[in-house]
Formats: sequence, C-alpha cells, structure tokens
Amino acid sequence: MFSHLPILSILIWLPLLGAVLVLMTGNDKQANWARTIAVLVAVLSLLLCIPLCLGFDANSYAMQYREDYLWIDSYKIHYSLGIDGISLVMIVLTNFTGLLVVLAGIEATKIRVAQYMATFLTMQAMIVGVFASMDAILFYVFWEGMLIPMYLNIGMWGSANREYASIKFFLYTFLGSLLMLVALVYLAQRSGSFEIQSFYHLPLNLEEQKLLFFAFLLSFAVKVPMWPVHTWLPDAHTEAPAGGSVVLAALMLKLGVYGFLRFNMPILPVACQELAWVMIILSLIAIVYIGLIAIVQTDMKKLIAYSSISHMGIATLGCFMAYDIVKDSQNLQSAYMSLEGAVVQMVSHAFGSGAMFLGVGWLADRYYNHSRLIKSYGGVANTMPVFAAFFMLFALSNVGLPGTAGFVGEFMVIMSAMRTHFWVAMVAATTLILGASYTLWMYKRVFFGEVTNDQVASFKDLNWIELSNYLLLGIGVLWLGLYPEPVIRVLQVTLGHLLVQSMPFGVAMNLPVEFSYFA
Amino acid sequence: MIDFALPTFSLAGPEIAMLIMAGIILLVDVMLPERLRIVTYLLVQATLVIAFLLAIPQYRHHSEVLVTFNGHYVVDRLAILLKLFIYVMSFASFVYARQYIEERKMLRGEYYILGLFCVMGMSVMASAYSLLTIYLGLELLSLPLYAMVASYKDSQQAIEAAMKYFIMGALASGLLLYGISILYGLTGSISIPGIAQAIHTAPSSTVMLALIFIMAALIFKFGAVPFHMWVPDVYQGAPTTVTLFIASAPKIAAFGITMRILVQGMPSLHIAWEQILIVIAVLSMFMGNLLAIVQANIKRMLAYSSIAHIGYTLLGIIAGPNSQHGYSAALFYISTYVLVAVGAFGIISLLSRSGLELDKLEDYRGLNARSPWLAFMMLLLMFSMAGVPPTVGFFAKLGLLVSLVEAHLVWLAVAALIFALIGAYYYLRVVMLMYFEEPTEAYARTPVVLSPDMMIAVTINGIAVLALGILPSTLIELCRIVI
Amino acid sequence: MNMFSLDLTTSIYVMILLPLLGAIVAGILGKVIGRTATHRLVIAFIALSFLLSCKLVYEMIFQNHPRLVTTAYTWAHAGLVQIDVSFLLDKLSAVMCCVVTFVSLMVYIYTIGYMADDPGYQRFFSYISLFTFSMLVLVLADNFLLLFFGWEGVGLVSYLLIGFWFKREPATFGSLKAFLANRVGDFGFLLGIALVLTDFGTLQYQEVFSQVPKLAHSIWIFPGGMTISAITLICLLLFVGAMGKSAQVPLHVWLPESMEGPTPISALIHAATMVTAGIYMVTRMSPLFEYSPAALSVILVIGATTCFFMGLLAVFQFDIKRVIAYSTLSQLGYMAVALGVSAYDAAIFHLVTHAFFKALLFLAAGSVIIALHHEQDMRKMGGLARYLPVTYLTFLIGSFALAAIPPFAGFYSKDVIIEATRLSTVPGASYAYCCVQAGAFVTALYTFRALFLTFHTRSRVDAALAGKVHESPWVVLLPLLALAVLSVVAGAILIDPLLFSHPRLLGDSVFIIPAHDMVAQLGFHYHGTLDMAREALTGLTFWMVIAGIITAWLFNARFPQWAEMLKKKLSWAYAVMINKYGFDAFNQVVLVEGTRETGNLLYTISDVKVIDGMCVNGSGEAVRSFARFARRMQTGYLYHYTLVMVLGLMAFLIWYVR
Repeated sequence: MFSHLPILSILIWLPLLGAVLVLMTGNDKQANWARTIAVLVAVLSLLLCIPLCLGFDANSYAMQYREDYLWIDSYKIHYSLGIDGISLVMIVLTNFTGLLVVLAGIEATKIRVAQYMATFLTMQAMIVGVFASMDAILFYVFWEGMLIPMYLNIGMWGSANREYASIKFFLYTFLGSLLMLVALVYLAQRSGSFEIQSFYHLPLNLEEQKLLFFAFLLSFAVKVPMWPVHTWLPDAHTEAPAGGSVVLAALMLKLGVYGFLRFNMPILPVACQELAWVMIILSLIAIVYIGLIAIVQTDMKKLIAYSSISHMGIATLGCFMAYDIVKDSQNLQSAYMSLEGAVVQMVSHAFGSGAMFLGVGWLADRYYNHSRLIKSYGGVANTMPVFAAFFMLFALSNVGLPGTAGFVGEFMVIMSAMRTHFWVAMVAATTLILGASYTLWMYKRVFFGEVTNDQVASFKDLNWIELSNYLLLGIGVLWLGLYPEPVIRVLQVTLGHLLVQSMPFGVAMNLPVEFSYFA
Repeated sequence: MIDFALPTFSLAGPEIAMLIMAGIILLVDVMLPERLRIVTYLLVQATLVIAFLLAIPQYRHHSEVLVTFNGHYVVDRLAILLKLFIYVMSFASFVYARQYIEERKMLRGEYYILGLFCVMGMSVMASAYSLLTIYLGLELLSLPLYAMVASYKDSQQAIEAAMKYFIMGALASGLLLYGISILYGLTGSISIPGIAQAIHTAPSSTVMLALIFIMAALIFKFGAVPFHMWVPDVYQGAPTTVTLFIASAPKIAAFGITMRILVQGMPSLHIAWEQILIVIAVLSMFMGNLLAIVQANIKRMLAYSSIAHIGYTLLGIIAGPNSQHGYSAALFYISTYVLVAVGAFGIISLLSRSGLELDKLEDYRGLNARSPWLAFMMLLLMFSMAGVPPTVGFFAKLGLLVSLVEAHLVWLAVAALIFALIGAYYYLRVVMLMYFEEPTEAYARTPVVLSPDMMIAVTINGIAVLALGILPSTLIELCRIVI
Repeated sequence: MNMFSLDLTTSIYVMILLPLLGAIVAGILGKVIGRTATHRLVIAFIALSFLLSCKLVYEMIFQNHPRLVTTAYTWAHAGLVQIDVSFLLDKLSAVMCCVVTFVSLMVYIYTIGYMADDPGYQRFFSYISLFTFSMLVLVLADNFLLLFFGWEGVGLVSYLLIGFWFKREPATFGSLKAFLANRVGDFGFLLGIALVLTDFGTLQYQEVFSQVPKLAHSIWIFPGGMTISAITLICLLLFVGAMGKSAQVPLHVWLPESMEGPTPISALIHAATMVTAGIYMVTRMSPLFEYSPAALSVILVIGATTCFFMGLLAVFQFDIKRVIAYSTLSQLGYMAVALGVSAYDAAIFHLVTHAFFKALLFLAAGSVIIALHHEQDMRKMGGLARYLPVTYLTFLIGSFALAAIPPFAGFYSKDVIIEATRLSTVPGASYAYCCVQAGAFVTALYTFRALFLTFHTRSRVDAALAGKVHESPWVVLLPLLALAVLSVVAGAILIDPLLFSHPRLLGDSVFIIPAHDMVAQLGFHYHGTLDMAREALTGLTFWMVIAGIITAWLFNARFPQWAEMLKKKLSWAYAVMINKYGFDAFNQVVLVEGTRETGNLLYTISDVKVIDGMCVNGSGEAVRSFARFARRMQTGYLYHYTLVMVLGLMAFLIWYVR
C-alpha cells in the first residue's frame, strides 16, 4: 500500500520540515511546543520505517525505492535515491536513534530548546539522506550538510571546552571530505555521470586507484575514525551534549564504514586488495592502542569515546579482511562472515555506546557541576539501582558478552580474522580483555562501593522518559544479541553482491561456480 | 571615405535611460528640501528598475551577437546577463545603504547619483567591444567610486582610503592605457575581434608586454594578489555601504571585461594568460585566506576573503579554454559570491548604528541571542562563503572543481580545496562568536531594531543563498548558455 | 501436571527455561511479590527442572535413548556457515544436568536460611537462578557458539555474585579480578573456536568431530616456518579457556578471591558446578583431544601442578572458606590429571562426587559461619562440635570424602585417577603421579587441620558470641544431610556403571583411543567396590592420607607449638606460602600496573603530544603564525603598496618578456 509513496524522500524531508516548524515556535516560552513537534516528527518517521521494512525485498540486491529526478542538468547531477540492505539497516537505525535523542532532549536542555531540537531533526534528515542517496553529489551534499547542525549542536550546548572541540570537529571532517569531493568529480569525469553505480568497475589503472583510494580513505577514516586521525572524536564526544554524543557515536561514525562499503571497495577493488594490509594494521592499532588508552581515561565520556574508536576498529577490520580471506580461500563464501560482522558491529555499537553516552549524560545532569569525572562518582548503584542494572546491560554489550548486541559483530569478525592470519585474530581478540578492563573497571568505580559523596546520595533514579529510552535500547541490545538473523537476512544478498563487485576481476574470475547470492 | 551610418541607439537603451535619468535626478535633487531626500533614493532605484526592464526584452530577442557604434558596443547574452546582475546587485546595495547614510548624514542625494554613474559605467563595461569603450566604462565606474569612498567626510579612515584608492586606481588605469596603446600600435585595431585575428597572425614578446600591462589593470580592478594591496584598506576604511558597493557589482563588470579582452580578444594567447592567472589565482587564494585568519575587523576579514574568492573565480577562467564549463563556472562563482558578499556587508551595515561602526568581530558575540534571524542569515552567508552545502557557495566551488578536473588541473583543484579549508576556519569563527557565546553586557541590553525594508532585503538575500543552494540548476544553466 | 508425559525435546526446553523464568520474575517482580513468594517460586521452578533432569537421565541411561539434537532457531548464518541455537542431549549432558539442578536445588533451599536477613534477597535468587540457566545451556550446547554463550553466561553470573555485596571493596575487586582472569581464558577459548571454524568450516559438534581423523595430520604454519599440528593448537587454545574457568595454574588467581561472595554461591558456582565447566568441556571435546597427545600431556602437567601446589597453600590459610577454595583448586587439578591421562569418565566421576562433598563442605562451613555471625577466621573458632552437632557430623563426612578415606565417595573417584596416572605413559605422567600422591597427603592434612581447628581444640570464639552459638535452622541442615548421604554412597554406587561396566555409563559421549584407555586396564583387576576398598588399605595412597590426618592432628590439635617452631625454622618457605608463590603480586605489579602505564604513555605521549599537539594543533598554529608574519606586508603606506604593484608587474614582465 505504501509502495506508491516516495517514502525515502519523506524520510528526508519530513524531519527538515519538522525542524522548520520547531524553529518557528521561536523562543523558550513555547519550548513545550518545540518538544512536542520534535517528538511527533521523530515518532512519525520511525513509524514510516515499518512500511519501509515491509516493502523491502531482501532477496534482491538491486537498489529499491528508487527515486530519480534530474537536479542539475549542466553537470548531469541527479536527485536519485535508493536503498539496498545495508542502507535499509542504517536508515532504520538512524530513525531509531533520532527518536532516542529527541526524547532525551526533552529533559536534557532548557535553553534554546527549539534550536536544539531543530539541529537534531536536521541531522537525522541529513544522515538518512547520506544512506539513501545514489548520486555522488547528492551524497556529498548530505554528507557535508550534517556538519552544520552538528557543529552548532556541539558548540551551543556543549560544555566548557566546546569551541575548540566544535571547530576541531568541523575542520577535521571538512579536510577529509574535500579530498573526497575531488575524487568524486574525477570519477564522474571518467564515467560521464555522477551516479555512484556508474563508478563501479571503471577501468582505472592502479595508480589512479591508489590515489583515489587515499582520497576516499582520508575522508572516511576521519569519520570512522581510524588511527591516527581519531583525535577529534574524544574532544567532540566529550564536549558535546549527551544527545550530540549519541548521534556522533551511533550514526556519524557509521558513515565512515558505510563509505568504505559504498565507495572504496566496489569502485577501487584493486587498490583495496593491494592496500588491505594497511587497513588491517590500522584497524588492529585502533583496537589495541586505543583500547589501552581507554583504560586510563579519567573522564567517563572520553573513556566511552575511546572505546567507540576501538570498536569501530573491529568494523573496519571486518571490511578489509574480506580481501585477504578471498585471496587465500579463492572463495567468496568464506568472506561473508567478516562483512556481516562489520555491519552488525556498526549497529550493535550504536546501541551500546549510544546508551552509555545517554547514561553518562544523565549522571552529569544530576551532578551539580555536571562533572564527567569518574572520581566524582561512586556507589551510584545504591541510589539508582534501576539505572545501574540497565547500565550494566549496556556495559556488558560494550564488553561483547554473548547474548548482547556487542558480541555478534566481534564474534563474527574474530572468527573470520582467523582465516586471514592467526596473529590478526589474536590481536583482534585482545578486545575481549581490553574491553572488559576499561568498561567494567569504570563501572566498578562509578557504581559500586559505598556512596562517596552527598551529591551521589541525592541522586534520583531514572524518570519515565529516561526509562523509556533505556527500555527501547535494552530491547534492541538483547534482540540483536540473541537473534541477529533477521538483520543478517536483510544484509545477506546485498553483501553477497557487494562482495562480487568489490573483488578485482582477477579474483572474481576463479570463484567456485556454485556461488549464489542465496547462500 | 567615412561612413556616417547612425548607430542603433535602441541597443544601448539601458545606458541611455540611465544617463537621462541621472540628469533629471541631479536637477531634482538640487530642488529637493532636506527632508524629501528620500525621493532621490526612490528615483535612483526606479532608474535601475527601468534599466532592468529594458534589458530583459533584449535578452529575450537578441540571442545573436549585435555590434554597433562602429564596433565599439556589443549586445550579446553575456553582456545582457552581466547587466542584469549588475542592476540587481546595485539595487540591493542601495537598499542596504539608505538607512546607513541617513543615520550618518553623509551627502545624501549625491551618494545615489554617484552610484548611478558607477552603474552606468559598469553596464558600459559589460557591453564594451573595444578597448576604448572598456577604458571609458572603467573610468566612468572608478571616478565616482573614489568620491563615494570619500563621501563620509567625518571619517579620517574614509578619506585616507579614498586617497589610496584613487592613486592606485590611477596607476592601474595608466597601465591599462599603456597596454592598450601598445596593442593598438601592434595590431592597428582596438576592437576586440580585430585584435583577436591580428594577434592570431603575430604573437610576439611585444604582445606579451601589452598583455601583461592590460592584465595588471584587470587584476587590480578584481583586487587580486599582487595588485590587492588597496583592497583591505579601502574595504575597511570606506563606509560600510560603499564597501558593500565596491565588493558587489564592479566585480561582475570586471569579470565582463576580462572575458572580452582575454577570452574573446586574445584566445590565441591563452597558454600565456593561463599561466599568469594560475600564479595570481594561487597567490590570491593563499594570501587571502591566510591573512583573513588574523583579522579582528570583520570588514577587513571579508576584504581578504574577497581576494581569495577572486582567486577562485580566476580558476574558472584558467580552466576555460580546455573545458566546457570553465567560463560559466567562473561567471556563476563571481555572481553568487557577489550575492553573498552583498548580504554579508549588508548585515554589517545594518548592525552599525549611527556613531559607532560595529565592524569588529567581537561585536558579533552572541548575535544569536540578540537577533536569531539575522544571525541565521549571517550563518548561511558564512557557510556559503566557506562552500559548505546546501548553500550556493558549494555549487560555485563544485563547478570550478568540475572544470578544473576536465582541464586536467587536478593538482590545482586540490590546492584550491586546501585553501578553502584554511578559509573555513575564519568563517566558522564568525558563526562561533554569533552562536556559541553570550552577548557582552552592552549589547545584551540593546536589541537589534531593523526597519522592515531592511529585514526583507536581508531575508531575501539569505534565503536566496539557501534556495540557490538547493536548486542551482537554472542559474548554472543561465551562466552556461550566455558563454 | 504430569511432566513425565512430556516428550524429551519439550522437557529439555522446559528444564532450561524454568530457571530463566525464575530469574526474570525474581529480578523484575521480586520487590513486588516479596521474599517468601520469590523463593517459593524460584525453588519450585528449580525443583521442577531437577525432576525433568532426572527424567532425562532415566530416558538416556536406563532406556538407553540415542543422542538427541534439537534446534530452537537459527542464530545467524554467513556464507555456507550456519550457526543454530541447538541443544544436544546425550548421556553426558543428562548426567551433568542432573548434578547441576540437584546441587542448585540444595543450595537454593540452603539460601533461604543463609541470606535470610540480606536486603538483596530477591536479587540473589534472580542471580543464582540465572546461573542455573546459563549452566544448563553450557551443558546442553550442541555447538561452540552456544557453549561459549553458556560459558560467558556463568562467568557473568559468577562476576555478579562475587560482587554481590557491591558496597564492600574486596568483593568488587574480587569480582573484577574473576571476570578478567576468565576473560583471559576466554580469549584463548574464542581463538580456539575461531580455529575450529577455520579448519572444519562448522561449529556443530558432530560435524567437527567427524572430520577430526581427516585433519589429524594437518599442520598450522606460522611465519618463520614454525609449525604445529592444527588439532594440538586448537586443543591448547580451548584448554586455555578451561584453565580460566576451572582455575588451573596460572589462571587460578581469581578463585580464592571469589570467596568474597556469599557462601551458597561458593558452594554452587565455585565448587560444584561452574568451575568444573572446563573439565566438562574437555570431556565433551574428547574426540579432539584424543588426537593431540601433546595437548593431553600439557593438561596433565598443569593439572598435576595445580593439584599439589595449590593444595599445599590450603594448609596455610586461616579463612575457612579459603581453605576449601584451595582444596577446590587442588581437586580440579585431580580432574585435569584424569583428563590428561584420557580417563575422562574418571574425571566426570570425580566431578560428580566432588560436587557433592565439596558443596557439602562449603555449606557446612557456611552453617558454621552463620552460627558465628559471619566469622570466617578459624583462629576464632574451635570446639564447636559441641554446639553444632549436625554441622559437625556432616563436615566430618565431607572431610572423609575429600580426604579419600574408603569407602566414602571421594575415595573411589580419586583412587581411580591416581591409579590411572600410575599406569599412564603420557609424557609427564611420572611427575603427575608424584604430584597426585603428595596431593593425597596434603589433602588429608589441610582438610583435617580445618576440621580440628574448627570443631575440636579449645574454643577461641570471642566472648560476645560464646554461649549464643547454636545449630542452624532446618532449611540449612536439610541440604547438608542430603549431600552428606550422597557423599557417603555416591562413589560406591557410581563407580561400577561409570567406569567398569560395558558399555560405560557415558557410552559414546566420550571418545577414547583404545591405546590411551587407562580405565580399561584398571578394569582388568577390579573386582567390585568392597574389594577395591579392602585393597586400598594396602595401597600407598591410603597411608599417605592417614599420615596427613596424623600430621594435621599433631600440628594443630596436639602440639600447636610445633607449627610455630617450623614457621621459625623455615621462615622463607613460609613466606612463599603466605604470598601464594607471588602470583598475585606478579599480576598486580606486572600485568595491571604495566597495562596502565602503557596506556598512560600512549595517551600522554603519542595521542596528546604527538598526534594532537604536533600534527593537528601544530599545523593550525603554523598557519596562524605565518599569517601573523605575512600581515606585516600590509603596512598601510601608499608607497609600499604601489611598490608591491610595480614589483609584481616587473616580475611578470621579466618572466614573460625576454
């Protein structure tokens, strides 16, 4: 019944419309109007995801829900939308997170509520746009467009050091995307169109491929972020308001990996094959080095931020291991798991870290000077048992405990890492130990023990909004942990197609004949 | 024997209309009592409207190139489009000017009349088809401009700026004349097409000499490195509305004559002028963005940023010969930049109240708290200058990028973007001040009051930047077909 | 309802899910429905699943039902790999289920008494119920994923329960330590699983085991040409996991700390069930381990080491629970030794009997602790036999069982292991034999030391309590008695079917290459339980035990001053013992501090200084400073400006017009 609706466009433009409406409510006297509208819009767009999922055909790797209009004819730029399995998953995730942050925002902010909500709605729209756009320039417009609201969000509602953090965030990411823009234009000039699909398997020689690879790499590596271009993230995460941190962690970081899957791998197979080892090493560094750094953080948000980097390391590892696996086994089947792991890791990390950022935000709100320092807390479990219980769940997901979302991705990636090399798997697996150390040590210091100060003693347990937030997330975490198959089902065919596209012809040639998308 | 065929005056309709009106307005202005000055203003704006309306049908009817006044005057789509832009931008800058100059009791009527003469000069430049007309238009633009800069007699800075502008402008004109004379001596022709084929036969080092002199003058008008030294001082010193005026329409006119002289006049020398322009473009983008970072005065900052933007515009012209989009991209870039610049200076002038010029960056602290709408407009303009989608500035840069890549100048594209990154920093800083900080005590208590027409002007300006960012197609197309 | 009408599959699910349900209800509604309702509900559930497990045992063993695999749903699939949530019921898992649910039931009942006045009553029930659930999943898993799920699940619950009294620093510290130590084990375990998936292309037990013979000789090559048999590598990695869970040296450090938790879970998790998961896992994987002699002898040596040296430490502990904890380590060592010599059935046999008597000992100790209002130091006990007759009796039985006095349960299981070790020819067997023999002596020594210090000798109970000491309520005593009975008879009943009947009770659940089968060789001169008990009197082991008991009596009951004297004489040895061979110090200083220091260095130097300081902010600063320098050109002097113009012009002229 919804098939005739331009549902993707609605998902993009509805939040924007909402943002405008919210802004119209003006100053904080009408704050409640702003809140109501924002929540309504968020709920509505999340509901719209239901028909989106129902109408989606998981057995086809073709782009679905296509919309295509000529946008700028002199450059052959189209307003063309469409989604495959990966995009679908990410879009649903985006709308889900959108609702969360708007809900969280109801309580979190008291000043300039309208503008606060507007930034979130705009970000949501932009991110959906990124995942849905099939035209390189459209993609880029959304990709950059989301910087503005994020920049404002960090800068306007952030904490003490927000100006430095916001500018750092903007310039860091801007630098990356500029090079990507050149790469896109170059590809378009070679292919004669800005359709992303038209870039796939262009006859590019190795030199070009490598240069383009690095152009894309810089932009996506900054977003992921990968070592050594990760230093914007701890600052941005730490200074941003809770909601901002959630969007950063849950969605923006994913854009990097999404970029790898959408651009680097299918467009530059040879370069990826050649440089896979670089990416693998960088990912491993992210996992270990960043994990070690996370252990010694004294600021809860910084700690979670670093843990995010380390977890995204798993995702990037999953993406680029695929090449080594296929090269060794000469068989695409064996590379499935590593890609699935990467994508699932993106989703699960969104739940886990998102929840933890929210939680830390709530703690800080209850503390008189909004302290995020671990040492300011202690014995919170005494005064906020429910919160402690939920937080434990998400901490465990962060630790990658089986049965929680965090486990699935890690498990799959480590499993397939063994196919590339023993040592790769071994280094990747250290995340079990490191993750447990930093997460649970923090948990111990913040939640366990006697109540340390009267601040903590005065804490009230979760109110109903916070509770509803955590219920949503908790369900997500457990569901994905106990029964990931539905998500994987959606990804399956798309990833299979992606694999075929992402392999250099040389490799793709000698694949087993019995290869089918429906493995 | 001499041919006495009368020129087809109708083609020069807009200019003639403006001339007549200028005369009338001068007379009227003398009669008018002090309190009715507004009439002058309205008349001038009406003149611009008339000129605009006269130009429109020309665009519709004359798709082919028409040359008259013995080959000194051309009407083609480029000329007409440039004129349209010029009229619109001038109109806008006068709108912004009204409140400002009333508050400052600057010589009221004359201001607009001088401005009108400038516009006339510009539109002559737009359809000039011989070096002589070009020079004519240039001077007709420049001289009133010097006066306008000086028009704020109470301001020491303004006078100084006017002085510098005048002397250096004179120097530039000298260079231009010198170049023209050499060229004439060499080719025996001063009409663009004449020169074109003449040079085609004989490219020599003397031609280069002429080329360089002429280009120096053009670059000066644009205000690009190394002939940019006047820009910061004049932009800062001149009354804000005059700065606004200088930063707007004249750039378009300058682009017009550059197209005539270099592209239509010396196509065979494109290797040479490309190289020169590359040097100039890179220097301008570099110096402009770099020096803008350390400015504390927003007018001066925007002055440097304009230098950088000229650098970008030149990129389009550089790529032009080897790409199908180059010139149009440049035209699109310059016209949209002017739109943005007008808006930015407009807001500065609106915020400045009689007595105190609010042109320090500090003065923008917490603007969002004082006037969210104005702040939002400024935000749009700043991001557009930084070239961040979904503002028009992005597509301007994109066009350049595409044409540079077409012209196999990828390295230049990359360089341009690196400079853009540096540039982003100071635009962001303005946003930072407006949004992330609370207004200082003094300003917090004084709300921003704007007369409705100003509000409308700003709004249209800002929204245009956004709208053109979302639907740039028509304008891009327009720029493409005129070249 | 008549549960015996349920078919096997359903009863498996019901058995697994009842504890989970209990956990959820107790956890979420606990505060609502109140204490009594909570424990009634939870215990009812566990009782049901115990009955169901009995039914399973009956079906599998007496009806000799073939192995049964049932799939709940597909967890995930990738390429050709499909991972199901599926359960395997065979003789081994049936027996384990029965043991787990029985001990759980006992402990749940006991808890009512022990935790009576604890504010976290419902939470505690929720946790232990969750534990039983995870343990059942672990036991019934049909593939490595589910195994790992249960594996980590029990680890989690153990973490939660050790830190149950989260206000107490030692408790939270101990819990974190336990989790991390286990994580180190799981690190290896997961790698092992990954290796299995890589080499066998599946995680399903049977599919893996069926391929083992094919891959027996495949080689795993490391860079640098170092090669190792794939099977051995897998086995070693898996065993690392077992070392973590079953607290084998050097990953044993967490078990003594775990005593910070309430006593019931010390009995349930850290003695009877969870810690034996490693033993169970290796037995389950016998088809793998059998093909890797190297791995077996590693297990043997590590087990033997744990068995003796950890037992030795028990002698020097004064906290009654810690004594039993170390004895648990030592007994786990015995089981590991049994695995090492491919006597898997013997390992399981000892696992079962140990579950009974060790749970008994812990619960008895717990009953003492309640009586003394949570006093655990044996130096503050003594002469309690008079006040706590039942507890004393049961503790005594437990001690006999533990010290392997015939014909108590412990005797049969332990004796078999020792004999098997004697016969074994695996490399390291002789070392192991010495260890287990010495172990027997040590076991008796520390067990009876504890017994004497607690129940005999003169009372050192502090005056406040003296006279107020009285026997525990029936909810506490009931489990004690039940377990006591089993500790007496279990051995004699089980040894025949488990070890010396054909086919053995565990039948095809365990795979042994005939050449390795020590138990079979023992079978040749085994003539019934009584006979075995009688023969033992002439065996070395028995006299080691007697010697142990006598020593314990001399040094603790009769002439305590001798102990003091020795302490003086051998102060250095004593120091080593008190510091537990310095494992904790090593971990704390080298591993923990080391990691933190590295992290600090990386953060402060690499991240903050180099990347952020130099590269990021550095470049920005560079641009800015250059700009500051460049603006000097803008002097404001007209003649400078014109000069620049002219110079620029000149430059171009010179460049182009030559």
